[in-house]
Amino acid sequence: MPEETFAAAAHKGDGAAANPLRAGLTAERIISPCSTVFFGASGDLFKRMLLPAVYAMHLKGTLPADFGLVGFARTAYTDDTFRDYCRQQLEIFMPAESKPQGALWEDFVRRISYIAADFNDTRHFVNLKERLAQNDRDFGTAGNHLFYLSTPPSVFPEIIKHLKRAGLERSDDGWTRIIVEKPFGTDLQSARMLQSAIEAVFPENEIYRIDHYLGKEPVQDIIALRFANTIFEPIWNRNYVQNIQITSAESLGVEERGGYYDQAGALRDMIQNHVINLLALVAMEAPISSEADDIRNEKYKVLSAIDPPAYGAVWSMSARGQYGPGTIDGRPVKGYRQEQDVSPDSNTETFAALRLGIENWRWAGVPFYLRSGKRLPRKLSEIAVTFKAIPHRFYGESTDQIEPNVLVIKIEPDEGISMRFEAKVPGPQEHIRSVYMDFSYGSGFGIQSPPAYERLIGDAMLGDQTLFTRWDAVERAWEIVTPILEVWQNTKDFSFPNYAAGSQGPESAKSLFPDWRHL
Amino acid sequence: MTVVVFFENPVIGDLARDRIHMLASKHPSRVIVLDATQGENLHRVEGCDWIELGVKESGPEMLRSAVGALRLADAPVVLLWIAPGIETDSRFAALSEEARTIVYNSSLLDAGHDALRELVDFVARHPAMPMADIAYLRLAPWQECIAIFFDGKAAEELRNLQQVEIACGSEPEAFYLLGWLASRLQWRPTAPGVMVNRLGKRITFEILREGEPRRIARIALSSADSIYCAEVAKSEETILLSVSGAGQHGPRYRAINNPGIAALVERAILWGQNDRVFRDALGAAGEILAQLRE
Repeated sequence: MPEETFAAAAHKGDGAAANPLRAGLTAERIISPCSTVFFGASGDLFKRMLLPAVYAMHLKGTLPADFGLVGFARTAYTDDTFRDYCRQQLEIFMPAESKPQGALWEDFVRRISYIAADFNDTRHFVNLKERLAQNDRDFGTAGNHLFYLSTPPSVFPEIIKHLKRAGLERSDDGWTRIIVEKPFGTDLQSARMLQSAIEAVFPENEIYRIDHYLGKEPVQDIIALRFANTIFEPIWNRNYVQNIQITSAESLGVEERGGYYDQAGALRDMIQNHVINLLALVAMEAPISSEADDIRNEKYKVLSAIDPPAYGAVWSMSARGQYGPGTIDGRPVKGYRQEQDVSPDSNTETFAALRLGIENWRWAGVPFYLRSGKRLPRKLSEIAVTFKAIPHRFYGESTDQIEPNVLVIKIEPDEGISMRFEAKVPGPQEHIRSVYMDFSYGSGFGIQSPPAYERLIGDAMLGDQTLFTRWDAVERAWEIVTPILEVWQNTKDFSFPNYAAGSQGPESAKSLFPDWRHL
Repeated sequence: MTVVVFFENPVIGDLARDRIHMLASKHPSRVIVLDATQGENLHRVEGCDWIELGVKESGPEMLRSAVGALRLADAPVVLLWIAPGIETDSRFAALSEEARTIVYNSSLLDAGHDALRELVDFVARHPAMPMADIAYLRLAPWQECIAIFFDGKAAEELRNLQQVEIACGSEPEAFYLLGWLASRLQWRPTAPGVMVNRLGKRITFEILREGEPRRIARIALSSADSIYCAEVAKSEETILLSVSGAGQHGPRYRAINNPGIAALVERAILWGQNDRVFRDALGAAGEILAQLRE
């Protein structure tokens, strides 16, 4: 590197660009020093997902050596009691070999602090500002601040307003970024209101709308599968694809989230964000580069080509369901209306299925089937691309069923790719049978994918927005589901509960699309 | 893939079998063990994917033919060569022609820096050969730690470094660290124990034999007014980073994450061969070793 360039890079505050020793290292994309503030740090998401992710990053050396963690929530912890709380939660939620102990834990815990706060009191945000300045002095966090909103969405606007009042919306010395947990609004109107509250304080390039599905390795691999291979893209269109099915199924019920879920439902909770994001990745055109905005431009373009259903057509292209009592894994489970914090005559759907079309040159006429539900027979997230049937049959015994080829991108619980094709059964007869080629991330690379939250928190610290959803795509996803949401909300479904826990879902979904892949 | 393991030392052979078992359990593989401690009467097959052959008297053509016949068709061959003589041994030359990845370990035989020097000479003569060295791959956590000292504005200190001290249980790792620093920072050796940077400033270095074989114990980089030290902490599972002097910084800890041989071989297969930074470090280590030779 020329002398001038070396010096200039060193002053950019971007360690990755300045440090020639970084070339080729695992952490070539280094995270600059920073303090991360978790709003809602006494909540479930923090203890189960966020804290373990940050500690795992520390153990792996992917967290910056100079960092600070500030918990900000209503519960009346002190710094010390919050540190004890963090240790207890890590004892529960970290694997045995990564429990909090030794020098690495000591180094981590001394960087944790806590502010017991009312989200509606600016004074507490002023305290936060002082704490962040203290972190800069004590831990060398260089004025870089990452705010993680992991509270109920109803308080997001309050937090943002008070961040601004306390002068925390920008840092004189470093960067400021904000991660916003899903759901981003509860409908189109509330999403727009939330967006206007956020964008009044933070520019788009500082806003990280998180959808943890996008941090999963197989989801990221959709782009590699499509655009790092030559064999798929030529047939990835209406000429060869019969339909695409995107499924996100859970065997769990609403657990302790009944209060939240009864206000949300499957359409808001899963389809509007996770499932539509998967659709965008599988259907978008090739981006011109792997830069965040080039990928996000293509995602927005393809979502723009989906016509939201007309109100009169909602029932012919969607189905909803609510689980009743049933059996999962041989164990009886209660129905949705018997769950804690759920209204006994709830009209909320725990299953949603819809058929969408993408009106562009590539996909015109190809149905995209989306479904998501709770208390289905098993946990399964996948994208299944079903190809068209062969045009002319001349081979195989007449009784043999010749199935179409299916490419399945498996996201959960298995991570991998599977291809179904037809093969001759060995022997003198011409019997045909379906066989599978299977690729599994676990055995294919011998490497366990890092949990999604580790990847996404790390990306936010790095300033890489690729795996976060841009506002235009969020808004478009709301526009697509809004007619369905409104018709469903305004129509009481007297058939509820209409599927038994552990079954394949409601009959109405089967009639919507009889060829759903069996769960 | 097909993993071909060659060794001449029975103790190392047992160790290698154990590690390759671990590797094969994660990556579906056929393993061909070429045991040069045993005569040709040894033929052992476990299932259809673990084959052991005694090759004490076998010549290069016999080895190549055996591997050619036993390897999985259309799957890459990984050669683990655990013996000296890559420059001179015609058996290595024959087997390497079959391999897509060659994994070597310049510090396994603990022969000072001879094995590393041999690798330097070999790679200079065969630049296209897909080589990876376990001794280098083992340094990853130390490279990360050293890099941490010089992130951001601290990068300017890199041009002010005057002295490097490395305490290590075997020499190849230490020469690799020096070679890595020299190649990244454009230092050039001018005499034994001395390099100069691009501005002509002198940097002295010293290697101390200390601690367990194949393990770094400490690396200290000194400028005129600061000392940057990364050393194994008392727990031995962490590296303690400290900066004293003008750039003083509180203690920081990083996990060593010392992966076992199986994981290093895995890393070599997935990422290690023909890594540009590795090649540059090896080349620079070779130049430093050449000064010792003179």
